[in-house]
Amino acid sequence: MKKLFLLAVLCLFTVVLQAQSPTGASRFTLQGRAVDTAAAPLPSSTVMLLSPKDSSLVNFTRADDKGAFAFKNIKAGSYVLKISFVGLIPYNQVVKSDGEAVVNLGDLKLKPITKELFEVVVKTAKAPLTIKGDTIEYNASSFKVPAGSTVEDLLRKLPGVQVDQDGNIRAQGQEVKKVTVDGKNFFGNDPKQATKNLQAEAITKVQVFNDKTEQAKLTGIDDGKKEKTVNLELKEEFKKGGFGKVTAAGGPASNNVSARAEAKGSYNKFNAKHQFSLVGLGNNTNQQGLSRDDYQDFRGSNAYNSNQNADFGFSGGNYFYFSDSGDEGLGIPVSGRQGVGFSNNAAGGVNYNYDTKPKKWSGSYYYNQTRIELDAERRRDNTLPQNEYKTEENSNQVNFNGNHRVSARYEQEMDSLNSLVFINNSRYGIGDGYLSRLQNLIRSNGATTINATENRSTQRQFATSNSLIYRHKMRSKKGRSFAASATYEVNTNDATLNLNSTNTYSGPITTADRLADIHQDQRNNIIRSEYKASLQFVEPFAKRFTWETFYNFSLRNDEVDRDVFNRSDNAARVDSLSLYYKNNYIYNRLGSSVRYSHKGLNLSVGLAGQRFSLDGQFAPDQTSSRFNQINRVFTTFIPNVGLNYDLKKNRYLYGGYNVSVQIPTSRDLQPVINNSNPLFINVGNPNLLPQLGHNLNIGFNYFNPGSFMNAYIGINGTKYVNQIVYSQETDPQTLVTTITPENLSGGQNMGSYIGFGFPLKKTKATLDLNGGINLGTNPAKINRILNDTKSQNYNVGARLSLTPAEWLTFYGNANYNVTNTQFSINANRDQTFSNTNWGGELTLRLPHSLYINTTMNYRISINEQLNFDQRIPLWNASLYHILGKAKRAEIRLTAIDMLNRNVAVSLNRGVNYTQSETIQTLARYFTIGFTYNMRGVQAKMRREGFY
Amino acid sequence: MKKLLIILCLLTSSAAMAQKTEGIVTYERKTYWTKLIARLTFLSQEQKDRAAQTWKNDDEYKEKMKLAFNANESLYAYPTDEPTDGGYSWRNSDLFLYRNFEKDKKTDIIEMLGKTYIVEDSLHTPSWKIGNQIKDIAGYICMKAETEDPIKKQKITAWFAQDIPVPAGPERYNGLPGLILELNINDGDVIIEATNVTFKSLTPDDLKLPKTKGKKINDAAYDALIKQHVAESISAHRNPYWAIRY
Repeated sequence: MKKLFLLAVLCLFTVVLQAQSPTGASRFTLQGRAVDTAAAPLPSSTVMLLSPKDSSLVNFTRADDKGAFAFKNIKAGSYVLKISFVGLIPYNQVVKSDGEAVVNLGDLKLKPITKELFEVVVKTAKAPLTIKGDTIEYNASSFKVPAGSTVEDLLRKLPGVQVDQDGNIRAQGQEVKKVTVDGKNFFGNDPKQATKNLQAEAITKVQVFNDKTEQAKLTGIDDGKKEKTVNLELKEEFKKGGFGKVTAAGGPASNNVSARAEAKGSYNKFNAKHQFSLVGLGNNTNQQGLSRDDYQDFRGSNAYNSNQNADFGFSGGNYFYFSDSGDEGLGIPVSGRQGVGFSNNAAGGVNYNYDTKPKKWSGSYYYNQTRIELDAERRRDNTLPQNEYKTEENSNQVNFNGNHRVSARYEQEMDSLNSLVFINNSRYGIGDGYLSRLQNLIRSNGATTINATENRSTQRQFATSNSLIYRHKMRSKKGRSFAASATYEVNTNDATLNLNSTNTYSGPITTADRLADIHQDQRNNIIRSEYKASLQFVEPFAKRFTWETFYNFSLRNDEVDRDVFNRSDNAARVDSLSLYYKNNYIYNRLGSSVRYSHKGLNLSVGLAGQRFSLDGQFAPDQTSSRFNQINRVFTTFIPNVGLNYDLKKNRYLYGGYNVSVQIPTSRDLQPVINNSNPLFINVGNPNLLPQLGHNLNIGFNYFNPGSFMNAYIGINGTKYVNQIVYSQETDPQTLVTTITPENLSGGQNMGSYIGFGFPLKKTKATLDLNGGINLGTNPAKINRILNDTKSQNYNVGARLSLTPAEWLTFYGNANYNVTNTQFSINANRDQTFSNTNWGGELTLRLPHSLYINTTMNYRISINEQLNFDQRIPLWNASLYHILGKAKRAEIRLTAIDMLNRNVAVSLNRGVNYTQSETIQTLARYFTIGFTYNMRGVQAKMRREGFY
Repeated sequence: MKKLLIILCLLTSSAAMAQKTEGIVTYERKTYWTKLIARLTFLSQEQKDRAAQTWKNDDEYKEKMKLAFNANESLYAYPTDEPTDGGYSWRNSDLFLYRNFEKDKKTDIIEMLGKTYIVEDSLHTPSWKIGNQIKDIAGYICMKAETEDPIKKQKITAWFAQDIPVPAGPERYNGLPGLILELNINDGDVIIEATNVTFKSLTPDDLKLPKTKGKKINDAAYDALIKQHVAESISAHRNPYWAIRY
């Protein structure tokens, strides 16, 4: 009663006040009281004053303990008053001041949100619940329904909504008369039509509200009756899509080059969970594989995977590796470079990825084949302890290679603590080759051996690698984890070789200088299998320290069955060249490291002990009564220090010391005598030990994102112990060289690099400079005399990027590289070779979506000792036009090597020789091409950085 | 007796109030790089799709952030004692955002573009639009508010707690009737969501800015710097957000 009186007095007072200022105040006070439906005060409720135009916040306050609030001294005008209190529907009211000094709104009642809605939707599902007046909006993705469910199933899940057996819907107790889709009626007025036919997956929001009746809408007379209406909002289809691309180009035959053609196509289809893609290509323009972009489009989310490494160890360090060269890898070949020689290529594949948070799996099949023709000329300057000689070689070879690749990957996150990954990569390859070769061995006195070889070969290879990795995070402590892995790998190679070698001679040749002719059939059957297992345990034993312990086991089993038959001698078996070889190579490693990590500094120190044991036997034949036995054990300790320091202002320091251990390849280990080139015979060495390399490196990077300036410098060095080197024994009479791997210590390499890049004019011109020095000493025995090959390599380069306008870009580069080589066995045979490269690329956009791109590359290779001086300019150009408004198609004229000068030239250095190699390569040709890209063609004006 | 009770009641309730205006919020800041890449105007649709398809499983980059607040002040920064979870420790660029609501002052220490900047100015509260949605974040019922970053042209959605009456928030956002517990930049390119709110009395250290040398600028200069960097990066075909905060 007292209160009421007070209120009445207050009201009177207000009226009086108003009366006192009839002209209207420019400022006023707004007050009121927030209460619930039972008139109980809502203390501390949030009271906001919004602009009615765009609901922008003008002022806010908190109600006091009695729910009362006041905004003082606010500008006259209209506002939206909004009051919110947890568990209640926010209160909205338009407030206008008509010149009163105080506007008192009295008690403002906030209605409760149904308890069910509040508890279930807001609290449990954590779904945003939108309340717009009477409308309540549900976020469909917050309510999980099985794949393939209809909207009806989804509605059943929504709190406050019931669906009966016949599909009739009730919302907040009332029958739903109407279901609309994006505000429009769906198949007439039967609400069940929409809910039974639409997929739940297509829905993003469900809104429940009271709508005017159809009658009221039609007549425009509001009869006050309201119908419960459900509106379904459809998802934007942005996560679902498909795209494809096809390119075809062809050109006529010209100057000894037959007609050229290339075609490439890809198609992708995807939604949030699935990715499906197809790719195909074919050409005779030396494009041997997918480009990196093609590969990424093809493999999608499986293009790059982390969590792949099944060989645990010192973090990030490749502690041991097999480098079995000669085999193609298991992964899909990706090449950005133009091949050499003349090749016809075809490839195609299909890939499917399924990605959800707990389960991911991926499968792919890819086939590629290449037929390559190589015409090569090689000139070699050989140094022997006593003398020197020259080799001239001309060869023609045609190789065919076809590979089927299958890959599968399965990853499961069983829960937040356990995950499992299975990876399979397999390849089946068939190949055949033809080689015709003429080699001249020219002695200093002019006596020459002329060897003609003709080889035909076939091979069938199968390789598979399967890994299972299990990772477990311990619940007991954050950061404590355990991992285990198992790997099984098999490689088989079934190869045949038909070898024919005949010799003729010129000059003052003696009988002892002569060689036997060879006519042999060879068959090689090689099986290599490997079983690996690894364990790892990580323990964070203090805030900034992590302790990691690992164990690795590997068993490699090699088996070689080689039969050599003399065709000229009634196919008699040649025991000296035939071989049966078998081994077990067991590897055990136990190691531990401690890492300190804090504020960008990571420093780790570790030690591991390794034990290798080789247990093998060989004989000329499986049935031999006496086998040669090999038993070797090798134990070593390897230390490891790693430093990564992320310094302030984008500076980064890194370095480390580690010992790399390289196990001999199967090919180097097997005592096979490979005479496929009868003048250079390779023999394996069953006594080889693993190679140790003590590596030390340190480097520094800097980047200034404000000025776009960058700089880097680094140095690294390796000192080898038991380096696997290829020693040579050249018969002084016949000049046949036998090459055998053996362990020698004393080799070392040192490399350094420096670079600096800065904008000449920001965003328009950038200059990058770089340089490096590499020094090396590599030992090998030449005719049992130790030869140290010392080399010094110096390189400098500059790159200029000009992007003055959107319609013009130019990239230029210049590089100079020189190598000096000295052989300790012969002081007079020092070699110097140099490569100089000048390059430029200009792209111009002309009116009418017309573009010109032209590149020029000029390469100079010089070696005075070999009298070698090659200067090759390569000039390419293309003119293209992007068609249509949608810019989905392109027509392109391309001219490759307009000066018709392309040959592949390389200069290289071996243990005791320098060699120049020239391979005839596809030169000038012209094509006209057409591209259609569903996503649109964009002219490539600039070279891409990372983005 | 009755009066005493009321006083007691008032005391306890005010004590409760005091507790609700002082404490520490832990946020998880998630960056979705492919969404961000999809906004780069210089990339073709093909490049955007390629990035989205390739990185769809590794898209999310998470970091932890910390906001210390009381009724008048707040400090938003990286947590100092971040455990490394068996992984490596990467250095975070300096970021300390201090707000004083009472004095209408802010001091931001931001390392970006190869320099450390100290932005000192008044609060410059953005113009918030209040929506009608409510949702639960870390156990608090939040309301929706929206605004726009006029420099980076980003749509900002904030969810503020109805019952934590502090105008503080993560990143450079503040000025709502309640503590901001979620900030959503550009429809989910970056989401900063509170994972935990602890009410406790702060020590002076919790709100203390480190002593750092830097270039002192005001809001206008900061905006100009960001604007220039974004424009330059886009024209140089670089992603501007490798070097500045999104």
